[in-house]
Amino acid sequence: MDKKVGQKEFSIMDHILVPKHEILSPEEAKIVLETYRVKPHQLPYILSSDPVVKELGAKPGDIIKITRKSEVAGVAYYYRYVIEG
Amino acid sequence: MSIQEIQKNIGGIKFSVFSPQIIRAYSVVEITAPETYDRDGLPVPGGLMDPRLGTLEPGQKCATCGNTSAKCPGHFGHIELAEPIIHVAFVDDIYTILQCTCRVCHKLILNDDEISKYKKILEESKYITPEVYENIAREIKSKAKKVRQCPHCGNVKYEIQLVKPTTFYEIREEGPSRLLASSIRAWLEDINDKNLILLGYDLEKIRPEWFVLQVLPVPPVTVRPSIILETGIRSEDDLTHKLVDILRTNQRVKESKESGSPPLIVQDLVDLVQYHVTTYFDNEVSGIPQAHHRSGRPLRTLSQRLKGKEGRFRGNLSGKRVDFSSRTVISPDPNLDINEVGIPIEVAKKLTIPEKVTVWNIERLRQLVINGENYPGANYIIRPDGVKIRLDYVQDRKAVAAALAPGYIVERHLVDGDIVLFNRQPSLHRMSIMAHQAKVLPGRTFRLHPAVCTPYNADFDGDEMNLHVPQGEEARCEAELLMRVQDQILSPRYGGPIIGAIRDFLTGAYLLTKDDTYLTKEEFFNLANIGGYFGPMPEPTVKEPKELYHGRQLFSLFLPKGFNYTLRASWRGKHVVIKDGILVSGVIDKSSIGAEKPDSILHRIVKEYGSDAARNFLNSILRVIKAYLTSKGFTIGYGDFWLPPSARKAVNQAIAEAYERIKDLQRQYEEGTLPLMRGLSPEEALELYIVNELSKARDNAGKVAEKYLSDDNSAVVMARTGARGSPLNIGHMAAALGQQSIRGKRITRGFENRTLCHFKPNDPNPDAKGFIKSNYRDGLNPLEFFFHAMGGREGLVDTAVRTQQSGYMQRRLVNAMEHLRVEYDRTVRDPEGAIIQFLYGEDGVDPSKSDHGKAVNVRRLIEAEQLIAKGAPIEAEELEKLLSEYVHRLNPKLIEELKEALSKSELPKENVENVLKRTVELFEQALIEPGEAVGVVAAQSIGEPSTQMTLRTFHFAGVKERDITLGLPRLIELVDARRQPSTPTMDIYLLPEFAEDLDFARKIAAEIRFSKIGDVVKSSEIDPSGQITFVLDKEAMEELVVTPEYVASQIETGKRKPEIVNEDTIILMVEGADPLSLQRIRNKILNSRLKGIPGITEATVVKEGSEWVIQTKGSNLAKVLKIEGVDPTRTITNDIYEIWTTLGIEAARAALVREISKTMEEQGLEVDIRHIYLVADLMTVTGALKQVGRHGVVGGKASVLARAAFEITVPTLAEAAVKGEIEQLKGVTESVIVGLPIPVGTGMVDLFITQGENVEQKSD
Repeated sequence: MDKKVGQKEFSIMDHILVPKHEILSPEEAKIVLETYRVKPHQLPYILSSDPVVKELGAKPGDIIKITRKSEVAGVAYYYRYVIEG
Repeated sequence: MSIQEIQKNIGGIKFSVFSPQIIRAYSVVEITAPETYDRDGLPVPGGLMDPRLGTLEPGQKCATCGNTSAKCPGHFGHIELAEPIIHVAFVDDIYTILQCTCRVCHKLILNDDEISKYKKILEESKYITPEVYENIAREIKSKAKKVRQCPHCGNVKYEIQLVKPTTFYEIREEGPSRLLASSIRAWLEDINDKNLILLGYDLEKIRPEWFVLQVLPVPPVTVRPSIILETGIRSEDDLTHKLVDILRTNQRVKESKESGSPPLIVQDLVDLVQYHVTTYFDNEVSGIPQAHHRSGRPLRTLSQRLKGKEGRFRGNLSGKRVDFSSRTVISPDPNLDINEVGIPIEVAKKLTIPEKVTVWNIERLRQLVINGENYPGANYIIRPDGVKIRLDYVQDRKAVAAALAPGYIVERHLVDGDIVLFNRQPSLHRMSIMAHQAKVLPGRTFRLHPAVCTPYNADFDGDEMNLHVPQGEEARCEAELLMRVQDQILSPRYGGPIIGAIRDFLTGAYLLTKDDTYLTKEEFFNLANIGGYFGPMPEPTVKEPKELYHGRQLFSLFLPKGFNYTLRASWRGKHVVIKDGILVSGVIDKSSIGAEKPDSILHRIVKEYGSDAARNFLNSILRVIKAYLTSKGFTIGYGDFWLPPSARKAVNQAIAEAYERIKDLQRQYEEGTLPLMRGLSPEEALELYIVNELSKARDNAGKVAEKYLSDDNSAVVMARTGARGSPLNIGHMAAALGQQSIRGKRITRGFENRTLCHFKPNDPNPDAKGFIKSNYRDGLNPLEFFFHAMGGREGLVDTAVRTQQSGYMQRRLVNAMEHLRVEYDRTVRDPEGAIIQFLYGEDGVDPSKSDHGKAVNVRRLIEAEQLIAKGAPIEAEELEKLLSEYVHRLNPKLIEELKEALSKSELPKENVENVLKRTVELFEQALIEPGEAVGVVAAQSIGEPSTQMTLRTFHFAGVKERDITLGLPRLIELVDARRQPSTPTMDIYLLPEFAEDLDFARKIAAEIRFSKIGDVVKSSEIDPSGQITFVLDKEAMEELVVTPEYVASQIETGKRKPEIVNEDTIILMVEGADPLSLQRIRNKILNSRLKGIPGITEATVVKEGSEWVIQTKGSNLAKVLKIEGVDPTRTITNDIYEIWTTLGIEAARAALVREISKTMEEQGLEVDIRHIYLVADLMTVTGALKQVGRHGVVGGKASVLARAAFEITVPTLAEAAVKGEIEQLKGVTESVIVGLPIPVGTGMVDLFITQGENVEQKSD
C-alpha cells in the first residue's frame, strides 16, 4: 500500500456520525440531575463498552453530555449515564 | 339498572405462584366426582358443577356467597392430585434449578468462595436495578451448569435431560434414568432459600416446589359456563371436559395405588394425568398430541383462551366493546359542511344523548318526551331515584312529560349539531377518528364531505364507517375541543394540510380560474350566494357589451382580506399571485387548494387565519366550485382518446423504431460487440439496454398522444390539475401500455424458454416478453391481455402482502411507543419517569403546530413586515445586538435564520423588533403541550405512510451497480435493528488530497474488494503423495494486481510452505495426509482470503460532485476506516449495528435517523424528522441498539400486562409469576386493560380538591 500517505491517528470522535461527547464533572452532573429532577438511572444509558466511552475513559457512574447537531434546533443536548455493560 | 358511582381503585397487580396451601384455602369445595350432573339434571355435589362454585342461571343463588348470578363472582374449588404433576409453564425453571443444584445435598453447585462473592455483590449494591440482578443470576446459572461435581458433598452431578414437554432424565453412567415428578418435588423442597435468591427467585414468596402441583385449582363455573343448545342438550365448556379427564385419570391413579398395582402401571396412569393437566394448561405444547373434542376440534384450554388476537388479552381486555355506536355504508354529500356528518333518521332514533333536565331545557325535553319514538324524540327517562323508564312502553307520554322535573335525565334522540365521533378502519393515524357535527338526514347511509375522504382514506365503493356518540359532558367537550375536523386540517405527520380539495373540486377550480373563464352578472351573483358571500360586489372585468366577471374574481371573494400569497406555477401558465385577498393571476389547482399539499393557499390560511377560517374558506369555495362545475358540465368518454390516423401512425412508428434498435442490440450481442457495463454480464447488459429502449418507446408513444390531445381534453385537464390520473395513464389509454413486468423484470416464466405456447422458444421479439403495443382504447389482443393480467396479479398480491407487513410494523411501533408522553418540563419520558428525550424533537416544537416542520416561518413574517415598513434599514451591528437579546428565548437555528433573513430584508429597526417579537410569540405558540402522546403520534406518522410504500427492492440500473433494499422492507429492517441488513453497503470517501484522483480511487477499490485464493486459481490438482498443485489464472491475477509470490504468501502458514514452480504454478506439499483431508485442505485454501476486506464483495468507483467515491457491496466499517487514504471521518455504512459497535450508540442513533429519513424521502413520503428522532432515541436509550418488538423495546417495558398483551402472552405471565413481578399500572395498555383512564393527554390531568375545608364549611 502507498506508504507516502502521512496520516494522523484517526479517532472515532472525528467521524461525522459521532457527536461531541464529554464527561460531566460531579458538580455539572448534579445540576443536570436537579434540572430534570431525576435519579441517574432515569437518564438514557450508554454502555461502558461503547467505543466512545472507552476513548473518553469514562467510568460507570459518570454522566456524559452529548452535543448533537440538530436539523431543527441547531444544537441539542443529550445526557447519558454510563452503565456497566 | 340504576346508575351507580362506584369508585374502584386498583393500585397494582402482584403476580405470583400459588402454594398448595393457598389453593386449598381459596377453595370452597374439593372436587372428587368426575360426573357433572346426575340423572335428574341436578349438579352432583363435589362435582365440577357443584353449586358452591358459583351460579350460572339468573334466578339461582350462590351456595357460597348467597348472591345472584349478577353479583356472584364465582368461587374456586380444588382437586387433590394423587401424585405430583409438573406444571408445564414452569418446566424451564425446574430444568435450570435441577441443573444448578446438587442431586444429593440439593445445594447450589458453586463453591463457597463464589457463593459468598455473589452474595456480597447483591448485598452491597442496594440500588441494584432489576436488569443487573437478572444478569447476576444469569451468570450464576451459567457457571453452575458447567460444574460437574458438587463442591459441598463431593457427589457427581449428572447431566439432566429434558424431554419436552415435561419428562426429566438423569444421564447416569449406566444410562438415562427417569426423574419422577415426586422426586423432583422432593428435590426442589430441599433447596435452601438463600441459594434461590442467588438463582434469581423472588426471595420470600415463591418456592420452586410449587412448580410441581399437588393440588389443582378448579376455576368457578362462571369461567366455564355450559351452553344449553336449542335441542335442550347441555354442552359443557372445553375446560370442564378437560377437568373431567383429569378427575377420571386421577381417580384411577388413586384406585390402582390403593389396590397395590405394580409401580410401572401406576406410573403410566400418572403420565396420563400429566398429559391431561398439561393440555389443560396449554393444548398447543409441542411434543404431545393435542387433546380433541368429540367432534374432532382441538380443545381451547387456558393458554389458548389468553393468547392471540382473539384471546382474552388482545380480544377482550385491550379491545373494549362500546354502546351508542353505529355502522353503515358511506356516501358523499358536497353540500354538507366539512365538519358535518349526515346521519340517517333511523340511526338518530337509536343513538341517544342523556340530557339532564334543568329549568332551561325542561320545555324542550318535555316536547321530546311527548314525541317519544317519533323523531325528534326520546327513548328513555331516568328518574332521580335511578329508575329507568322506557318510553315505548309508556301509554300516556304526556303524563310522563308533565312529571319531568329538574334532576331527571332524558335520553333524547340525536339532533343536528350534536357532537359525534366518526371513524374509518384501519385507524392508522389520529385523523382516522374525528369529531363531526351530526346532521340528521333521510336515507340509509352516513354522508360525509368529499374533502374529508383523505384523512379517513375513504372512498364510496362500498366503504363502511363507524359512528360513536359521546355520552358525558367531559367526553363531548373534549371531542369538541380537540377532535373537530377543522382542527385536524394540519397533519402531525408533516405539518401541512391533509384535508383539502380532491377530484372534481380540482377540475372545477381550474375551470373556474383559468384565463378565459368569464361569468355573467347573474351567474356570478348566484355563485357568490351559493358560497355564502354577503358583501360588496367587485367591479366586473368586462363592461361592454355585457357585464362579465372573471372566474378569479369569484374565487377572490372567499379569500380573507389582506391575504398575500405567491406560488410558482406547477405547469405552464402564470404564477399564482394573491394580493390583499385578490387572486391576481394564475390558475388554482392541486398545489393551491389540494389535500396533502404543504405551502398551499389552504395551508397559509390555516396558519394565518386559524382553522375556523380555513373551514369556512373550504366550505364556501368547494360549494361554489361544485355549483360551477355542475352547471358547466364535465365529462370524459371514449372519444377523448381518439387519435387522428397520423398520430396512430406516429405511435406505431415510435414503437417500431424501438423494435429495430432492439434487433440491432441483439445482433451486436451475438457478434460480441455490445458495449459492456461494469459489473454486468453481457446478458444482463443486453437486457438492460432492451428494457431502457422499451421504456423509451412507451414514453415516446405517450408523448405523441399527448401532443395530439388538446389542452381542454378532459383527461388532460384532470391529469394536469391533479384531479385524477397522470400523463402516464393518458398514454396507457390513448397510446400504448408498454412493458408489463413481474418483480421488476420482463415476463420470462411460463414454458421452456418462452412465455406462452404462441411464441417460438427464445423469441427475441419484445412481444414475447410482455410488451404491449395496444392501448386501452383500442383494446388489447389476447396475448397482451394475458400479460397484462399477469402484471395486474402481481400488483394485487403486492398490495395484500404490504398491508399485512406494514400493519404489523405499525402495531409494533405503537406498542413500543404508546406510553411516551411530554412532561411539563417538555422532556419525553416513559411512565417510570425515565427520560427518552430531554426536549421533545430537540426543539420542543409540535409538528402539527409547526409550519411544514419549521417552528416559525421567518420568511413569511418578514415579507408581511416589508409591506408596511418605512424608513432606513437597520445597521448590522444593531441587528446583532437585538438578536443577542433573543438568544435565550429562541433556538440557535432560528437565530441563525433570522439573522440571515433580516440582514437581507432592509427592514428598519422598529420592524425588525416587530419581527423578533412575533417570532418569539409564534415560537412559543408552536411548542408542544405537556401530556401530548408523542409516542403514538410518532408511531402513526411512520406507520401510516409505510402502507403506501412499495414492497420491491429497487435496482439502480446502470447508474449505480448495486441492489439496495428500499421501501417497506428496508424500514422494517431498520426498526428490527437487524444484525445484518439484507443489502449492506458502504460509501467510502477518500482524503481530500486524493478525492479527485481516479487512479488512486480505483487502486483503493481494488485493495478493498475481497477475493479468495480460488479466484486466481485456474485449476488445482491433488496428488496422493500429498502434493497439491495450483495453476494460476494470469488474467485474473492481473486484474486483481497480485503476483504469484503474493498468492504463495497468502497460502503460507506455519505448517504450509508453498513453492513457486513457475509463473503460474504453485505447489504445496502436505505430509501424512490421506486424500480426503488433502481435498479438505485444498478447498480450505481456495476459499481463504487472498486480499481485500472480508465482507466486501464488490467495490465500484463513482463520481459524486467533484470527488470520487467508492461504493461497495458488503460492509466492514472497522476495517475500512483503518485503510490509509480513506477519509475515516466521512466514510459510512448502512449497517446500523456495525456503526454501533465501531462508532458507539450516539453514532448509531444518528445513522438510524439518517437511514429512516432517507428511506421515507426516497419513497416521496414526508415525515417530520421529530418523529424519526423519537423512534431513534427510544431504540437507543438503553445504550444498546434495541429492536422495536418483543425482544427489544416492547419486551423491555416494565409492565407485565403490556408485554402480555403484545406477544408471547402466556410465557410472559408465567415469568412474571416466578419473579413475583408487580404490575404498577402506569402505562397505557395496562390502564386500558384494567379500565383506568390512560395516563397521557387529558387523562394525565388530575383535579385535586382540599376536602377538609369543604367539610368545615358544610358543618357551619
